[in-house]
Amino acid sequence: MNSLLQRASRNFLWQHPWQLVLAILGIALGVAVVIAIDLAMESSLNSFNQATKVYTGSATHRIIASDGGLDEKLYSQLRVKGFSHLSPLVTGYVKLAQAEQESFKLVGIDPFIEKTLQSGWQSGQNENFSPVLFTRLMTEPNTALLSQKTAQRLHVPLNGQLSLVTRQDQQPLTVIGFLPDTNAVSEQVLAKLIITDIATAQEVLGLSGKLSSIEILLANDVSKTEAAIQSLLPGNALLLSLESQEQSLREMTRAFSINLNALGLLSLLVGMFLIYNTMTFLVMQRRRLIGSLRLLGVTRQQIFTLILSEAFFLALIGTLIGIALGVVLGQGLLQLISGTINAIYFRIDATVLTVTPFQLGKGMLLGMSVTFFAVLPPAFEATRLSPVKVMARSQLESGSRRLIKRVGFISGILIASGLAVAFLSGNSINFGLASIFLILFGFGLLTPVLTLWLMKFIERVFGRFLGVLGRLPVRMVSAEISRTGIAIAALMIAVSATIGMDLMIGSFRQTVAQWLHSSLPADLYLALPGDQMTAEKPLSDQQLKEKIAQLDGVGMVSTALQTKLLAEGELTKTTVFELAEKSKQGFIFKHNMDNSLWDRLEHQPTVIVTEPYAYHHAIRIGQKIDLKTNQGALGFEVIGINADYSGDQGHLIMSRQNYLRYWPDLGYTGIGVYARDGADLKNLESRISQLLTGQQVVKSNQAIYKASMELFEQTFTITEALRWLSAAIAFVGVFSALMALQFERTRQLGILRAIGITSRQLSVLIICETGLMGLVAGLLAIPVGFVVAYVLIFVVYQRSFGWTMAFYFDSGVLFQGIVLAFVAALLAGVLPALKMAQTHPAEALRTE
Amino acid sequence: MEKPSAISIKQLNKSYRESDQQHVIFSDLDMQVSRGEFIVLLGRSGSGKSTFLNLISGIDPPDSGKIIINGTDISALSEQDRTLFRRHHIGIVFQAYNLIPTLTVAENLLLPLELIKRLTRKDRDDVAELLDKLKLSGRLDSYPDCLSGGEQQRVAIARALIHDPSVILADEPTGNLDLDTAGQVLELLDILVKKAGKTMIMATHSQEVIGQADRVYSIKNQSLQRE
Ligand SMILES: Nc1ncnc2c1ncn2[C@@H]1O[C@H](COP(=O)(O)OP(=O)(O)OP(=O)(O)O)[C@@H](O)[C@H]1O
Ligand SMILES: [Mg+2]
Repeated sequence: MNSLLQRASRNFLWQHPWQLVLAILGIALGVAVVIAIDLAMESSLNSFNQATKVYTGSATHRIIASDGGLDEKLYSQLRVKGFSHLSPLVTGYVKLAQAEQESFKLVGIDPFIEKTLQSGWQSGQNENFSPVLFTRLMTEPNTALLSQKTAQRLHVPLNGQLSLVTRQDQQPLTVIGFLPDTNAVSEQVLAKLIITDIATAQEVLGLSGKLSSIEILLANDVSKTEAAIQSLLPGNALLLSLESQEQSLREMTRAFSINLNALGLLSLLVGMFLIYNTMTFLVMQRRRLIGSLRLLGVTRQQIFTLILSEAFFLALIGTLIGIALGVVLGQGLLQLISGTINAIYFRIDATVLTVTPFQLGKGMLLGMSVTFFAVLPPAFEATRLSPVKVMARSQLESGSRRLIKRVGFISGILIASGLAVAFLSGNSINFGLASIFLILFGFGLLTPVLTLWLMKFIERVFGRFLGVLGRLPVRMVSAEISRTGIAIAALMIAVSATIGMDLMIGSFRQTVAQWLHSSLPADLYLALPGDQMTAEKPLSDQQLKEKIAQLDGVGMVSTALQTKLLAEGELTKTTVFELAEKSKQGFIFKHNMDNSLWDRLEHQPTVIVTEPYAYHHAIRIGQKIDLKTNQGALGFEVIGINADYSGDQGHLIMSRQNYLRYWPDLGYTGIGVYARDGADLKNLESRISQLLTGQQVVKSNQAIYKASMELFEQTFTITEALRWLSAAIAFVGVFSALMALQFERTRQLGILRAIGITSRQLSVLIICETGLMGLVAGLLAIPVGFVVAYVLIFVVYQRSFGWTMAFYFDSGVLFQGIVLAFVAALLAGVLPALKMAQTHPAEALRTE
Repeated sequence: MEKPSAISIKQLNKSYRESDQQHVIFSDLDMQVSRGEFIVLLGRSGSGKSTFLNLISGIDPPDSGKIIINGTDISALSEQDRTLFRRHHIGIVFQAYNLIPTLTVAENLLLPLELIKRLTRKDRDDVAELLDKLKLSGRLDSYPDCLSGGEQQRVAIARALIHDPSVILADEPTGNLDLDTAGQVLELLDILVKKAGKTMIMATHSQEVIGQADRVYSIKNQSLQRE
């Protein structure tokens, strides 16, 4: 009996391959997007960690300098005090004359450290890699190791020469051996890695006497040893556990990753409508079969199980396909995501997609449970089908109409609670996003009721001009609201999310553009790369500044130094300014300020913090921030909070005078040049560039503005891509609903044909109907998109990144939204329309 | 010359393919129907009654042969032209679910008219009047699913006639109705069709109708046999 039951229903499924495929596609796409985002995000972070391991081995801790590098004496000091398992590193990025476009990471190591701290390629057994190479690396100056593939690519043979582009000229390095790789990540990292000994690295990077970090392996008595090491560290040095460093990277990208995941869930939400649509279709189409089964004595329970087990198989297949698709998609997103992380958070040297069983399990669970929820309503519906009389479609519709009204009430509650959550949930990003989902879902449920009203309105207003045939599409939309409503809702959600995000991005863009305009008061800016703090840098920077100030046409000069300080135990970006009078206008304060601020900034231990910093650390004006100086910790009073969109972690701003009192001079990382009125900027720029060496560049404020805006757009490419994915799923949803709809009304369309409506007229009817659905979705998406934009701007983004921005209204976005919905619906309607128009009327009439 | 033929069928062949089997429904069927004649079509279920009506209405094309209606060979027309022909010349009543559920009773009746001309105020009045005659005057703005089966069938008959076609095809119009209601529906057909001099072919199982028919055929051996 039971197997017969299943066969009866399975046969039915096979007869509707379209619906079958679309249901699976709905599940698969939803799961794929979620999985892909998760994989790409996790892999980016993982790759970062693994990439470091390629030259740090199994270290657990690390000593780094807040800036300016560690004194190499610290290393011997630690050794002398009896600490073992230490590995000094000197790292920096270099360019090769052989490949000007690429940048390579140069790492200077001590090859003879403890075995436990060596990396895989050092300790691993490898025939073409012998320990003798280490001795040569140490004893012969200017020798290096390189991966074999890179050597081949650059046409450098064994014992051939690499030429490094340095500040002054070129420096040759002899390749004495090749690095063996152990896995995909290390292969990628090694492809851009040059290994030398410490002395060579210090020389070519201009870091004589300095180390970039000391890697440490702490096995037992960790906290005691930590404390012992801490006590030996100078003011600018910090001991970090790699675990906590990983933690803080995660923390740094948390908001970014939550927002991405939300976009993935949006796709899943839209996919859920698709699954729901298909499952109701499959139940409703079988009401006769189910009725007869019930008559034969099949219980409600059995019917319920039958539908659920069907859904289970669909979900299983869909989820499996989704996971496979997700891995492929993840590969694509990986580049986008790590690109964004590179641009705004930290540098990632390798990106390899890693897939863990846990992540796959998560995707599996998500796909299965979402399908389960989407199928519950139709499964219950199926048990309620009367065994005696099979209800006509129209009767079912009047039933679902009552249901729709009730659902309208629920949706009101959802929307209200969504808004409440948005504004009452404090600083939680998750709640902020949850509120958007509540609002979207609420409006989605409300869509059918609103559609019914709109259709009534259209008929009342235009009915008399339309004629009977013209009224038909309007009527069809409202008559089969249980189908059309779902499609409109899915489309509405996708489009309103698009409108919301577009309005948000637009507002953000405007805000950033305005901020950039005012925060670039100088005419020309010089960038003096500062990640390699060579000993002579402060002096040469100082000389450069003086030469520039004396140039003809230069009015004023300001300087900046980007460095890192230990604030409240955290490594914190700090900008040290020597401000010209005009540069002060570049600050946009988030509060009323009085003129004593600038004076205090120069003469008292004070800082200005950026808005994100104030937000993330809950800092208010007047509070003190403890900064670690060479003379110990000192409280700096916060005297200003200024707008800044250059990063979402925030930073501190300090005067140079103040800074030099407590920290060593590290030169400048930037110089701002204010030209005299009427000076020829082009000419000035070229005169300045003649003074520059190596990687120093001069750029006009416009060029910087342009580059910054490009970076801004780049950070949103991933958002853009994901948004299109959810729109694509909505499109499939509309398509599936329309296919189901046209199938369900075959008989009715047959009658129309019998009356004398041509197949062309029929296609026009259906296209009009779907166009109408698209318009409704677009119209409803406008107010919903507005609400979404508001919550995004004033709740989610502020909580995620600490930025406040102004709401800029852009009517073009709304117009695009409507067009998008309309075109998507029309396109989705083309195939069903053609299919119905091509159905033979005789065949159509045979169905019922 | 004889009385002009309303319908003339020559050498008609029709078969369906079912997987790889050829299922022949009609072979070399010939038939002449005069204007105003009332033909009843009998036959087992599955013998091809509906198929026959569909061939005449142009809903289904024949494999070969000629179907000439009021002088037009519809078997030579394209699908599009057959539809346009049907629009003007043929009225159809099916066994059930004849009406468009999303249109009101009045709109269902107006639709065939709208297809062949611009609607005028008078058309609306005519529809109201016709519904009056059918004793459905109160149901002008009702949707079909609020009507009983008999009422629906009466509206369907009215719709088949509203645009004044010369040929009426009825496929078991009383098949879903009880005896009394079926009687009313047949009476209506009698008044509206026969008295108006229209040609009608009706497929039915109902014995009552046979008495009223001018000729009775049944489908046997892939052809028509006069009873
Ligand atoms: N589109 C089609 N494809 C395949 N076979 C068809 C098709 N239409 C009809 N048939 C077959 O042609 C035969 C005649 O069908 P038709 O519907 O004309 O019978 P009928 O006499 O009207 O039967 P009933 O009294 O049950 O309505 C049947 O065997 C049917 O299966
Ligand atoms: Mg039949």
